[in-house]
Amino acid sequence: MASVAGTTSLCMTSMSCSLKHTQGRISSVNSVSLPINGKSFPSLRSRSAPRFRVSCVAKPETVKKVCDIVKKQLALPEDSTVTGESKFAALGADSLDTVEIVMGLEEEFGISVEEESAQSILTVQDAAELIEKLMEKNA
Amino acid sequence: MFSFLGRRVNFEMNLCCFQRNFSAALPSLVPVSLPSKKETHLWYVLPDEVNSETLLNQYLEILSPYEKESIYRKHGHQLKKSALLARALVRATIARYQTNCQINPRSLKFRKNIYGKPEVDWQNDDDWCPPPLHFNISHTSSLVACGVTVDVPIGIDVEEKQRRIKNNILAFAKRYFSHEELQLLASIADPEIQHQEFIKLWTLKVGQEAYVKALGRGFSAAPFKTFTIWTRVETTVNFQHFEALDSEASEIVVESSDDPENLTNNWKFALLDLAGSHYAAICVEKDNSIGGETNAPMSLAVWKTIPFVEDERVSGTGAVVAISGSVKQF
Repeated sequence: MASVAGTTSLCMTSMSCSLKHTQGRISSVNSVSLPINGKSFPSLRSRSAPRFRVSCVAKPETVKKVCDIVKKQLALPEDSTVTGESKFAALGADSLDTVEIVMGLEEEFGISVEEESAQSILTVQDAAELIEKLMEKNA
Repeated sequence: MFSFLGRRVNFEMNLCCFQRNFSAALPSLVPVSLPSKKETHLWYVLPDEVNSETLLNQYLEILSPYEKESIYRKHGHQLKKSALLARALVRATIARYQTNCQINPRSLKFRKNIYGKPEVDWQNDDDWCPPPLHFNISHTSSLVACGVTVDVPIGIDVEEKQRRIKNNILAFAKRYFSHEELQLLASIADPEIQHQEFIKLWTLKVGQEAYVKALGRGFSAAPFKTFTIWTRVETTVNFQHFEALDSEASEIVVESSDDPENLTNNWKFALLDLAGSHYAAICVEKDNSIGGETNAPMSLAVWKTIPFVEDERVSGTGAVVAISGSVKQF
């Protein structure tokens, strides 16, 4: 029951993958810190834009598809926790895995990823956003 | 398989000036001489050989809070373990090299250069001059390696020989390798051999990493399609037909299609079959201040180790087989 004013509340409700199983702690009316997987994100201030990357851009379905491709490439067990916030490096993806994941994503989504863009992908969320951006371009 | 013919040395705990700086249970580090300017040292750990929870916890104790945090964030025991061993290996290894001052592995600080390559951030103490040590680490879940040189940058990369490629190898090569390299792979009929050559090439090149890491630059700074890594057979360079990466006596060269002057002559490359299970690529800058250095082979010493516990010199044994590049093991 976080009471946060403004557009930030919209973002919070639409984030399915990332905010599951979290508890909000309200320290003051103007800021909320949300421990996710044991980590605290910086506080959300109701007046300014959220400081952490709460991205409303990528659809949950896209994020889920990316999670699935990543799990398959890294041969992770079905029940392993891969979310939008998961970093490829933390999941054990090395450079070859990352390239294979990108190729898998290209095939799945019918897009083409440039080398430079591929390098900026650090998390599942990054990949999902890039995918949607590229799909939009194609449309 | 292979057998380790090198000397196996076990270290006993002994009291010396190191001791008070360490957590009580860790044995002191046995010093090692710095590599000479012409030498490359390679240390590796096999995670499967390190199973003592006590020892692993002791390794954790010598890491920085940032390193510990990074390890906790990894998913799964295997990843955490190899990441832990990588940090423990680099700290223990650097601390062992004999310098004027005893170094506590726990006190080492690291930073990244402007390209993101990790280096030691020596804490200057009065007149003490830090050793001109360069290092680079690479690891898979089954092997952790650290290369060390003096005065010249080094980059290494290790890959499991048997790692599976999900995508079609040629589709991969078409995208990430140069035209010549694609042609080479396409010309190999046997899929197993093609797979092997692909991994070798990847290790040397794109995971390469060995090359760009030696430069201290990040992955993005060297577009991989613009250079070819191939072996130059000593007699003539024939652009139509070149050898697969199997020619031990030949030199590995990097030729850039963008700027042929730039990359080729400053670096020595070697590709090894390490521990029977991995390909290891090593890339070291040539030190042109040493006479006759330009075409000298890479002088390499290799140890299999368990930090603080034991070392085994394995250079010249079946554990280290040079595949390409001019390597002299000692």
